[in-house]
Amino acid sequence: MKLATESAPAVQATQTVIEARGLVREYGPVVAVDGVDLALGEGEFLAIFGPNGAGKSSLLGMLGGALRPTSGEVLIRGVPLDFSDGAWRRHVGVLSHKGFLYAHLTAEENLRFYGRLFGLKDLASRIPERLARVGLTDRARFEVRQLSHGMRQRLSLARALLHDPDVVLLDEPYTGLDPSAASVLRDVLRELRDGRRTVVMVTHNLSEGLQLSTRVTIQVEGRLAWEGPTASLEREGFEAFYHKVVEGRT
Amino acid sequence: MSLYLDQIRVIIWKDLLLELRTRERIAAMGAFAVLAGVLFNYSLDQARVAPQDVAAGLIWMTLVFGGLLGVGRTFHLEAQDGAMDGVLMSPAPKDAVYLGKTLANFALLFPVALLVLGVFWLFFGLDLGSNPGILVLALGLGALGFVALSTLFAAVSSGTHMGETLLPILVFPLLVPMVVYGAGVTGRILVGRPVEEVLGNVRLLAAFALIALAAGAVLFRFVVED
Amino acid sequence: MSITGMRRTGTGLAVVGLLALMFVYWLSFFWVSTEAAQGVAQRIFYVHVPAAWTTFFAFGLCALTSAMYLWLRDERLDRAAVAAAEGGMIFGTIMLTTGPLWGRIAWGTYWTWEPRLTLTLLLWFIFLGYFMVRSSTENPEKGKRFAAVVAIVGALDIPFIHVSVLWFRSLHPQPVVVRPEDGPALPADMLTLLMTSLAAFTVIFLGLFMLRYALEGLRRELDVRARKAAA
Repeated sequence: MKLATESAPAVQATQTVIEARGLVREYGPVVAVDGVDLALGEGEFLAIFGPNGAGKSSLLGMLGGALRPTSGEVLIRGVPLDFSDGAWRRHVGVLSHKGFLYAHLTAEENLRFYGRLFGLKDLASRIPERLARVGLTDRARFEVRQLSHGMRQRLSLARALLHDPDVVLLDEPYTGLDPSAASVLRDVLRELRDGRRTVVMVTHNLSEGLQLSTRVTIQVEGRLAWEGPTASLEREGFEAFYHKVVEGRT
Repeated sequence: MSLYLDQIRVIIWKDLLLELRTRERIAAMGAFAVLAGVLFNYSLDQARVAPQDVAAGLIWMTLVFGGLLGVGRTFHLEAQDGAMDGVLMSPAPKDAVYLGKTLANFALLFPVALLVLGVFWLFFGLDLGSNPGILVLALGLGALGFVALSTLFAAVSSGTHMGETLLPILVFPLLVPMVVYGAGVTGRILVGRPVEEVLGNVRLLAAFALIALAAGAVLFRFVVED
Repeated sequence: MSITGMRRTGTGLAVVGLLALMFVYWLSFFWVSTEAAQGVAQRIFYVHVPAAWTTFFAFGLCALTSAMYLWLRDERLDRAAVAAAEGGMIFGTIMLTTGPLWGRIAWGTYWTWEPRLTLTLLLWFIFLGYFMVRSSTENPEKGKRFAAVVAIVGALDIPFIHVSVLWFRSLHPQPVVVRPEDGPALPADMLTLLMTSLAAFTVIFLGLFMLRYALEGLRRELDVRARKAAA
């Protein structure tokens, strides 16, 4: 396998949905993201691998409009992200190990809250349907603090996708999931590969990432050390390759 | 516009529902209101000082200290589970988030303000004076200005190491006008002065509240952004 | 202007200002006439009042640069804000120490809730909040934004505080504090000295401001170089 010296060209998809240009993120003296360029089209599923501290969460945060870049910009459908305007946020859904859930509200109330923030109209039918999709129908009236970790992650997933976003960002979604929750997640993620949506997933789980993605990148010390289509990778040898890339930088 | 209002409404709904379930803030503020009254009874030499004369000041100080107790925790539940981040990543404009949280705080503080008035009436046999309605209005406007400022600075202080302990230092200097005018209205009404005399102060309380809300709405986004 | 240029100008201004201040001191001891009512103690007026004016000027500058910093995000505006805030706090402290001293000597009490003194005290605490908030965040950028918000809200509130404190004072007569500038017009020599002192204080403030601004710039430069060396 070759190490590409430049990122692979943007996909043959119809339109670039999400694009990053020269993204930099600093926390005081620490540089978490050190100049990242990225372009993803419709239907793409990007898996971001990398060691801890590589800046993956910061990169995802900037793509999702949660963090303001120190320099560089993010464009969604060609329009630069404007942090003051909220409308583009309707197209982005985020799932992370933080739940974004209120522990003292029920599953249903959490979804109702977010649904109304997003301006969704058909919540009466949408909420039961989404709860059913993640297998939480009989827990709808339970407060979140009464749910197990796996159930909370499933609810977070339902929340992230409640508004049918075009762009889905997942930050280590497999962390701490029991096998049944992991399989629900896998099913839902497979459904997201419907050709319309663009997904970016940060994960430590190399096999899940390879199974689901169309493109892979390895982030090391704030930069994308390698990037390319999943089809060009061999599953069995990938872990060795991954370690080679990570160590190659230090 | 209606989405904007609905977003504010749902944030108020969520905050009040959370308060209903946890009851942490309203209990703290309510207990403080009553207990402060008790302590005042023992700290005033009522042979020398008629409570009716000092009630105005004491009421407003109780409101300020008790209010800080409740409002200081505004962002506490939000910090757990990163719930606030979820709200900030939603399409809801930051000023809507601020107004929602501020109005929810007002919905909690205003009853407490009335409670303080009631406690003083009960404990000290206070005569509510020539026009209780104006009293209530002044308390309401004062409470509004108070929550406008302290909600903004609660967001600031919860982003620091010191947390809520920083809140009084930031907020007390700014509350001087509110205390001056609020206690001014209250004091005059309690001694039976005519309403016309206090209307100027009431107007100033309203102006203070309005400007505090506007400033908070504009500045909140700079406090919560990352 | 480059940082070195700022440092030089700042040092120059500060030196000039201090020399002017020494001249003012000399004038206030040996030249200006004694005020009838208060006697020799009144001369502290020539330090006290300009310190007050400078404090408020500094705060205005801090609030203005803070607002522009939030709007334009130019780091230099934040440097200007913190430089102004430090200067303001220094002069505020001067004002708050000379005021009560004057009060004690001239009228027998340290503190009389005189509106200008009260306003400065509150402003001093707003400055304190500014610095506390600035230094107690994990992410320094956040601290700068928080501090800017404190300065802006403080500036919006100061007019309210001023009016309310004045109104309160008008209802509760305190020992009559006749200040020369409140009463009939100042005699010419006193006015001249006052203006000279104000000019000296302003020059010192500007000098300190530029030095502090340059210092902040150097610190930032140091950070950048340290990061480059580590990378």
